Amino acid sequence: MSLSRKKISVALLLIVLCLLPFLSNNYWLDVATLALFYVVLAQGLNVVVGFAGLLDLGYAAFFAVGAYTTGILMTVYHWSFWLTLPVAMAFAAVVGVIVGAPTLRLRSDYLAIVTLGFGEIIRILAINLSITGSASGIYGIPRPSIGGYVLSGQMDFYYLILIVAVLAVLAVRRLGTSRLGRAWMYIREDEDAAEAMGINRINMKLLAYSIGAVIGSMAGSIFAVKMSAIAPLSFSFTQSIMILLAVVLGGLGSIPGVVLGAVLVIALPELLRSVEDWRYLIFGAALVAMMIFRPQGLWPARYEVSKTASRVSPSVRKGDEADVSLDVEKYNA
Amino acid sequence: MRKWTSVITAALLTLSLGVAGCANQGQLSGASGGEDILVGVLLPVTGNNATDGKDMQNAIEMAIKKINDGGGVLGKKLKIEVADDGCDPQMATTAANKLVSQNVVAVVGGYCSGATLPSSGVFKNANIPMIVPAANSAKLPAQGYDTLFLINGLTPDQAQTAADYMAANQAKKVALVHDNSAYAKDLADFAKAAVEKSGGTVVAYEAINPEEKDFSALATKLKGIAPDATYFTGYYAAGGLMVKQFKQKGVFGLFMVGDGSFSEDIIKIAGADQAEGLLITATPTAEFIPDAEAFTTEYKQTYGNLAPGPFSALSYNAVNLLADALKRANSTDHDALKKAIKETKDFQALGQTISFNAQNTLDTSNFAVLKVAGGKFTLAK
Amino acid sequence: MDILVQTLADGLVIGAFYSLIALGYTMVFGIIKLLNFAHGDLYMLGAFVGYTLLSLLSGSGTGAGLMGIVVVLLLTMVIVGLIGMGIERVAYRPLLLAPRLSILITALGVSLFLENGSMIAWGAQYQVYPLQLSHDGWNVLGAQITYTQMGLVLISALLMLGLHQFISRTLYGKAMRAIAHDQTACHLMGIDVHKVIGLTFFIGASLAAGAGTMAGAYYGTVNFMMGFIIGLKAFTAAVLGGIGSIPGAMLGGLLLGMMETAGTFVFGGSWKDVVAFSLLILILVLRPTGIMGEKVTERM
Repeated sequence: MSLSRKKISVALLLIVLCLLPFLSNNYWLDVATLALFYVVLAQGLNVVVGFAGLLDLGYAAFFAVGAYTTGILMTVYHWSFWLTLPVAMAFAAVVGVIVGAPTLRLRSDYLAIVTLGFGEIIRILAINLSITGSASGIYGIPRPSIGGYVLSGQMDFYYLILIVAVLAVLAVRRLGTSRLGRAWMYIREDEDAAEAMGINRINMKLLAYSIGAVIGSMAGSIFAVKMSAIAPLSFSFTQSIMILLAVVLGGLGSIPGVVLGAVLVIALPELLRSVEDWRYLIFGAALVAMMIFRPQGLWPARYEVSKTASRVSPSVRKGDEADVSLDVEKYNA
Repeated sequence: MRKWTSVITAALLTLSLGVAGCANQGQLSGASGGEDILVGVLLPVTGNNATDGKDMQNAIEMAIKKINDGGGVLGKKLKIEVADDGCDPQMATTAANKLVSQNVVAVVGGYCSGATLPSSGVFKNANIPMIVPAANSAKLPAQGYDTLFLINGLTPDQAQTAADYMAANQAKKVALVHDNSAYAKDLADFAKAAVEKSGGTVVAYEAINPEEKDFSALATKLKGIAPDATYFTGYYAAGGLMVKQFKQKGVFGLFMVGDGSFSEDIIKIAGADQAEGLLITATPTAEFIPDAEAFTTEYKQTYGNLAPGPFSALSYNAVNLLADALKRANSTDHDALKKAIKETKDFQALGQTISFNAQNTLDTSNFAVLKVAGGKFTLAK
Repeated sequence: MDILVQTLADGLVIGAFYSLIALGYTMVFGIIKLLNFAHGDLYMLGAFVGYTLLSLLSGSGTGAGLMGIVVVLLLTMVIVGLIGMGIERVAYRPLLLAPRLSILITALGVSLFLENGSMIAWGAQYQVYPLQLSHDGWNVLGAQITYTQMGLVLISALLMLGLHQFISRTLYGKAMRAIAHDQTACHLMGIDVHKVIGLTFFIGASLAAGAGTMAGAYYGTVNFMMGFIIGLKAFTAAVLGGIGSIPGAMLGGLLLGMMETAGTFVFGGSWKDVVAFSLLILILVLRPTGIMGEKVTERM
């Protein structure tokens, strides 16, 4: 019963999304396209932060790797877009391993800082190197074509990113329920116990980090051809934060939650144009309030299959990782 | 859980329907506003460049009011729709699409080159003419868009003006500093070429971070090199600090800044004493344009004694040029309007006479060198 | 020779600012193992509060004399110190037992809040400090060293010395060291752990605020984003010296300041941050305990 209801809702949502270009004007279509980009990015980050519990503050770096790889291959070497896509993804995976291998054994807060530093280094490299077009970036990136049909209009890109977003959601959902996903969550909840059970934590973390990188890079490649011009400004720390916000707001590890978070992060500022200056202030306060009052997010993940477990999931997530050596009563004072 | 799913799905559906609804409304109001000619304005009205953006918007509103008071154009009134590009490529694209969906006849705007590059592409796709009063990267005309018109002098012109002044003042050894923004790097690159062409040598070519506050290492380095002139092509916040710290360290030679640093704030940040003698390559503001006294007075009256900003006069000119083209085209059709703007010949505007060359840019540059004297900007030549 | 001396002297000033901020990082980390991302923003807040106080002072016609500046500096340190305590009370204390990820994200939220709150309060533009410090100075071996630079380094040294005395001589300092060592035991011994943690935040925030006010007066401009990069740099300094170690933070800050100034001289200004961040990553990977940090058996 519940399953069929859910299926109907999802099908309805998909129909609306498919029809959206005919119902909406350019502006809202552009907002929707951007929201779908965020859905892809946030799902990628969800694997890293939500599943494996690795706080990545430089995720935009992989978005940049994808965008720049495609941009350079298409403008300098005149590759077809569809060829650059797998190359960009493979390249991002390699970068992910290079950065991840030495750093993923660090404590989680060190890792956060290292990824932040890495994100900034990628951005500064993009500004300083001539191959990335330095500060003005790469422009005049050609449009991709499918069998003679050139994707150029807004609607074309909307459908392209819609398909990719649906695929990303499906892929991440499957990953989450697979053996891998269970291993990641085990590591996130208790690393020692996970290792004792025979899970190779470094390799598993590296895998999560690289999969996140691949998804982010894919979004970046499409972003490059959609914008036809890319500049370092699009890959700033703020971008990383906004993606993270989408994941945290929606619910760490929750597939529908992260989709909702991505839509909110893009749609809210557009709806709140009049309070432009206040929006990051509100986001900041929301993050704090969220962590204190509802750390599981707006649409929390269900961890156990049984129905009773879904009710207690918040308490399952809270406190178990607390390696701060304190006793509870002291802090209830 | 089931409840949650359906609630969220319902919310999402409502949101998307609401979006669609808004969309239809937008189109409706666009159609019902048939009495007015809707002009899109694309400027950074929030963020770090908001001050210049607002100064431009003020001038645009003033020009619109004046035209409407004089009976409008083609028997209709002009109306503006302002969209915020925030100097950010991604925001600019969204804002440009917003203007396109509101069926604007033409667009006036574009301050940061980085944001104007992608937004000009959106207008090109929609075949909407865009007149750019400020952004002046050489990459803009290089895109070859027939809808894009630039009425500010281009970066190569500015670089040439700087190089000419240095050559005329026997500054042979030149140090170039940029702040790694698209605009500043462009200008520094062109300045390098121009200096070398006029027989000078570039003895240092340095980049700084725009947020940087400490230039002591750079000052020490340049002091050792002892250039005849230093040309900083970035924005005023770093420029002002650089002027101050270079003076303190006793770096030799002339100090010149580009038009991104053309702001009263550079004198304030550097301190009046240190700023004395500072040179600026810029398109003169209304205060330096002989026939623009009326404009300045009116601007100050309208906006509570606020002086016009660096691009106010150019923005004012852009609107007047558009109105003139609309009259000549005798239509609001995009193709006719595009053609009319292209055919503009010797249009008399504040401080400039506008004609377009093959690249849709000015055929004569309007750059000049200004100098700080007694805490104020004055014309240097 | 003159270039070397000049570079060292300039690096020392920046390094003193880094040290003051790094101390806050290290103290908070030492006591509750929290990386306070918002710490750099307290530096920014200090610069703005100092700016407002100085504007009020010079606006009332008395003019900002030397006494005025010292009063403003102390007042700013107290105000921002209290804000730091408030942040700990509101945002961090409820989460001390939560997963580490939660508290890190909270710190990020606080940082966003402070930055944008300051933008709304003081505007996005650069504000110019209502104070021009003297540019006179001595000529040491061909290098120009101003009285202002010497004054700033002196004030920073006094603050650090004061902190050192406080930590090693007073009862509260003893309590701090004890809590860093073993909180549960401290609680059993009757130490008011909350009070001491609050005090730690107060001291960390006020040192950062002191650095902020001094940097504002030294460079002359302030804006709401000034805390972000410098916060990261200060963290680098703390890690370089060995996180959790107070003398390490002082040493790390000074070293980083001088290395950066030298790096700028060699590689050019646009690579400066790359140098600092690469250094950070290298230290974290190769020698996470830094120069003076103790070997701690800790994972995750």
